[in-house]
Amino acid sequence: MRSLIALILLAAPALAQEPLAPKYLEETATAGLSTAYMGDWQYMVGGGAAVFDCDGDGAQDLFLSGGEAPSGLYRNLSEKGGPLRFEKRDSGLEIDAVTGAWPLDVNGDGNVDLAVLRVGANKLMRGLGDCRFDDASADWNFDGGDAWSTAFAARWEPGADWPTLAVGNYIDRKEEAFPWGSCTPNWLHMPAESGGFAPPEELLPSFCALSILFSDWAGQGFSDLRVSNDREYYKGGQEQLWHIKRHEDPRLYTEAEGWKRLRIWGMGIASRDLDADGDTELFLTSMADNKLQSLVPPPEGKPVAPVYEDQAFARGVTAHRPYTGGDLHPSTAWHAQFEDVNNDGLADLFVAKGNVSSMPDFAMKDPNNLLVQKADGKFAEMGDIAGVASMGNARGGALADFNRDGLMDLVVVNRWEPAQIWRNVTAGAGGFLQLALADEGDNRNAIGAWIEVEADGHRQRREITVGGGHGGGQLGWTHFGLGAATLAKVRVIWPDGAAGDWMELAPGFYRVTRAGAEAQP
Amino acid sequence: MPLTHRINRRALLGAAAMPLLLSLPRSAQAAPDGAAVLADWYRLVLELVRHTATYSPPVASRSFAYLGITLHEALVGGPGGLVSLAGQVQGLTPPPAAPKGLDAAFVLQGAFTTAVPALFSRTGPTGQRAMAAMAAQQDKVLSGGADAATEAASRAHGAAIAAHILAWAETDGGAEIENMGFPMEAAKDKLPSQWVPTSKVAVQQAPLLPYWGTVRTFVLASGADCGLPPPPDYSEEPGSAFYNEAKEVYDTSRSLTDEQKLIARFWSDDPMLSSTPPGHWISIVLEIFARDATPVDRQAEVLALLGIAVADAFIACWDAKFRYDLVRPLTYIRRVIDPKWEPLLNTPPFPEYPSGHSTQSGAAAGVLTALFGEGFAFEDGAHADDGLPVRPFTSFAEAANEAAISRLYGGIHFRAAIEQGLAQGACIAAKVAQLKTREA
Repeated sequence: MRSLIALILLAAPALAQEPLAPKYLEETATAGLSTAYMGDWQYMVGGGAAVFDCDGDGAQDLFLSGGEAPSGLYRNLSEKGGPLRFEKRDSGLEIDAVTGAWPLDVNGDGNVDLAVLRVGANKLMRGLGDCRFDDASADWNFDGGDAWSTAFAARWEPGADWPTLAVGNYIDRKEEAFPWGSCTPNWLHMPAESGGFAPPEELLPSFCALSILFSDWAGQGFSDLRVSNDREYYKGGQEQLWHIKRHEDPRLYTEAEGWKRLRIWGMGIASRDLDADGDTELFLTSMADNKLQSLVPPPEGKPVAPVYEDQAFARGVTAHRPYTGGDLHPSTAWHAQFEDVNNDGLADLFVAKGNVSSMPDFAMKDPNNLLVQKADGKFAEMGDIAGVASMGNARGGALADFNRDGLMDLVVVNRWEPAQIWRNVTAGAGGFLQLALADEGDNRNAIGAWIEVEADGHRQRREITVGGGHGGGQLGWTHFGLGAATLAKVRVIWPDGAAGDWMELAPGFYRVTRAGAEAQP
Repeated sequence: MPLTHRINRRALLGAAAMPLLLSLPRSAQAAPDGAAVLADWYRLVLELVRHTATYSPPVASRSFAYLGITLHEALVGGPGGLVSLAGQVQGLTPPPAAPKGLDAAFVLQGAFTTAVPALFSRTGPTGQRAMAAMAAQQDKVLSGGADAATEAASRAHGAAIAAHILAWAETDGGAEIENMGFPMEAAKDKLPSQWVPTSKVAVQQAPLLPYWGTVRTFVLASGADCGLPPPPDYSEEPGSAFYNEAKEVYDTSRSLTDEQKLIARFWSDDPMLSSTPPGHWISIVLEIFARDATPVDRQAEVLALLGIAVADAFIACWDAKFRYDLVRPLTYIRRVIDPKWEPLLNTPPFPEYPSGHSTQSGAAAGVLTALFGEGFAFEDGAHADDGLPVRPFTSFAEAANEAAISRLYGGIHFRAAIEQGLAQGACIAAKVAQLKTREA
């Protein structure tokens, strides 16, 4: 990460100073979503949304975690540009004790599968097409264990047929009087030589992870595992960054490598290369404070090191207290996601908020945040202006274009009350690109690729990942706002490092392969 | 087990005459009944302090005082010969008298199950669940230990004492904590000598608990009692006393030994990541109790006096902090010496002078020395769960001195704040040691 001044000069030279305020229309009552995240103590964390296309129609469908109640899969019936409509499907995903789910094509068959985390045995649910699933855990030798699982990430090792899966686990749920210090081991499910997965390795020490992410954090061509941990429960813990390489024992980055101890109520990770300089900024959600970590450039001649500067305060994304509704207690933040909600070419930030349970020293009326990035790199709170300042007890969520109009809609998973959904109806928003990568081999969605977009002299870079957030993630379309540009240059750095050719694309939807881009309806 | 039996066992240990706070001889005898109840509940209390968002060090010290006094008062009238602190500490009226024939373990259980949920009513769902589990667990352990009438009377007395102490606590000006203790608005137009925020955490842009110096004290006349001389005059002139103190912090930080780093981290005692500095001293005495099988009435007496000492220490310290409103080393050193300087520890979000850990450690060590004697050796495993080694000390004073200098190693205090903090703590301890806790 370069300095904030450099960001202003390089990343957004021609953009208006005041961003276009996004506008959302709540359609919870008519969209057909009924799943609430239910349950008591063991469901105080988790509760996410998984967004993916389960029937191949190009529209993003929706899985909502139900906690101790059955989860729900919703097929997207929205007309292009129209109101948001979903139909609950009998899919095989009506699973209980679910804390979260992340979509990925585990077996490379072209049908999206779903990694389902639970209080109890985790499951790998195999996509069968037409939004139907069965439990493939045994077929794939996936040992789901018996823990309170709360975080997930996946990547494909170079040359591997199967992904490497990481599972973050939380407290020993059997500890009642002294749960503190009882963090259970995280797991690493490596591919087996014979296909499927080897028995899980314990990733020790483990410190009650609530979000984990494989990411090429420094743009070096390989990913490491970032782990955000809940300091409420660990003893001697901190945030973590793991070196994870196939056929090598995992090892933590050390202080000698530049790692600096950080101890927060780590709950969610959102990553984005905000200044398109080749490394990712990380937004880490917590309580009463949130972090925006930006990589500090190494001294001249020195290798890159995981040394971060917290820019949350300087850039206006501490999001530490409700901004509307009159409750002035500190906030509790969970899922976070960067997306461009007004298509001006700058990534904005959504943060889901909600009290853990009934903690009186934290806000009970805690509105979700929609922090819109300005040309100077700072963010302005527009959740209330946009109409998404819900006071529901949020956990997970997703910004996604459900009605395929190029505007990022919003779904939020709430504890004890049904999920809410809003349609993005921003008038005057800029153009957009929606790109779906389709690679050769088993890593069909090109996890680990980077997409670069340049429009009107403004550059954007996005990494394709599986993981992070809180309780859920997305697979499929990757969105870029283009502002007023009518043409954009696009290229893909594929997971093996091969750089595709620059392509000139008009706004719209494209399926992108190594051979080029194909416009989609 | 009948209470009379316990009386006889404890009588063998003898009770120290409290006005002089002479040390008790260590005993290898098994812990008397009720000690297990106390140990388990205090272990939970230390966790609750760590995991309750309002529990900054001053707030924690206050709860340790009221909880310790609750236990002490609950055992007044029992076999140890404890006498009430009513009339000796500010505002405490005589609590309900103890009926005859109570069972100490049930008395303590009654006191804990009333006091702890009240003191930690604002903790999160896990803490609430843990308190309920602890109450149930202790009930199960104690089941059948006394006849029904004795059990009921004992529980009722413990609960009544706790209710009396809690009602008293409500009036001290420290009961309500808003926004985790941080004012909503920060003062502006500060002088170079004055504290300014050192953190990028948004809620910490105003100093923690600026009113805490006005909270009702226990043995001090007020927060201004045991006042301190001012710190060295502020100056950015090289060679000035103030500059030299800052230069010492800066130079020390650049040449820290591994041992000094360990000391800084051992006594860091960060809120929300530990049981705080007063909790560290509570942990020390709990380890001593376990090692020496300290009689439960003696434990209550120690916890009451230690709690009072650290609570008054924080009130007096905060009075001085906001009286002098001094800049932190982080601000001064970056402004005057090295703009890129990074101390080892996170700088706490309130004025520098004096050092809170020094004041309260000085007070704690003074009281414990009065109770246990000079040269009382112990081991401190307060942070063993967090992976830090157990540290041995030959005396309470040695531990307090190490706690104090740790703040210089950590880069968060100048020497004057450390030395004057210890002196302020000693002053407070001397006053606490005058309390009469046992029959003559």
